[in-house]
Amino acid sequence: MKNLVVKDKSHLRHRSKVKHEEIEYEPRSVREILTEMKDISELITDLAYSALVLDSREIAEEVRELEARMDRLNYQIRLTALIASRSMEDAESLTGILTVASAAENISNAAGDIVDLIDEEIDTRPFLPFILRDADEKFNVARISPESELAGKTIADSKIGTRTGAIVIAVNRRSGWIFDPSKDFRLRGNDLLIVRGTQDGYNNLQRLSKHAGQFTEKAGGSR
Amino acid sequence: MSGKLPVREEETGEVDFSKTTRLLLELKDTSELMVDLAYSALLYDNEDIADEIFSLEEVADDLEKDVQLSAMEDLKEHKDVKKGFVLIRLATAMEKIADAAVTIADVVLRDIERNPVVCLSLRDSKVRITTVTVESGSILARRSIGENKIASKSGMWIIAIRKDRKYYYGPDENTMISEGDLLLARGPKEGESILREMARKKRR
Repeated sequence: MKNLVVKDKSHLRHRSKVKHEEIEYEPRSVREILTEMKDISELITDLAYSALVLDSREIAEEVRELEARMDRLNYQIRLTALIASRSMEDAESLTGILTVASAAENISNAAGDIVDLIDEEIDTRPFLPFILRDADEKFNVARISPESELAGKTIADSKIGTRTGAIVIAVNRRSGWIFDPSKDFRLRGNDLLIVRGTQDGYNNLQRLSKHAGQFTEKAGGSR
Repeated sequence: MSGKLPVREEETGEVDFSKTTRLLLELKDTSELMVDLAYSALLYDNEDIADEIFSLEEVADDLEKDVQLSAMEDLKEHKDVKKGFVLIRLATAMEKIADAAVTIADVVLRDIERNPVVCLSLRDSKVRITTVTVESGSILARRSIGENKIASKSGMWIIAIRKDRKYYYGPDENTMISEGDLLLARGPKEGESILREMARKKRR
């Protein structure tokens, strides 16, 4: 799931969730599955809100895919836990884990409900960008100028996270969207970053993403 | 700002959706704080934090109701049904997120011995939760969270502060930090060491 370049799926306007898909048992540990579920539960709400703010069907589609993945993970973690359970104590402590997994899945369902609103006409929700920009943690977009020191660096090398506090939740480039990019993901000039963080951090990011003293297009420009 | 956008300041005299959006924002922040606290309570097996989630759940319930009422109030003036619909649906989704946090808190409050796998999983996560103690003479002390620019310098977001024995949840930028405070924060792994460094670094 990490760093997959998602091809244009704007034709898939409706839920891609397959209702009665057969889920194969994948031998993974409960620990691994739970970590992935927690990570998705945090990413997916960010993506859902940004889909509405940016009016992006591609991001909405990714949310739906992550939602479907969460369904599968929740099923798999149950299977794995049942196999692992050998005693009353096992069963008790695994029940806690399964409850947490279900909660994470419920969060992803809520994110799915949020992106369903993208099917409402845009002029019924002009207030949304306003709402979400006023929250404690804001969503913003920043375009990387080809001259920027960030262009060509991996996210880890760029130290965006610790220099600006902004967390990159998605990147848009010509080839498509990259969601939840990993530390080794290499940024390029003209990439559009979707970030979450404080306004102050965003201002720093804006500075970094431009060449010093040079004006580039306003972030969030047309695409 | 065009006339269609809701106004933030009450002073402008426009009612528009300002009250509803304000409530919705508060609900959004509350639901997110609850999720952060829920994972923290789980990680540290901390019942105080879990209890707080139950209190916040009441706040979230009230806020959801207030958003619904307020959105309907707005209809009297605006007759914009779709707008109200979107706001109410958003509030419902946010409340659902808050409920998920309560489910997690419930696991913490049950007296079952915690499975160590939970901790390991949470520690493997991309977004980490950590606690940092503000040492005496630290550059963070006697300044607010905003003045310290913690979020933009370290990428860490403070979700609670423990002063003496008492927790303060969801501090804002004006919250003052003192020596000896325990900061509960979430953020990227690299941010953790930066925050730790800030908490240790002496002011000259």
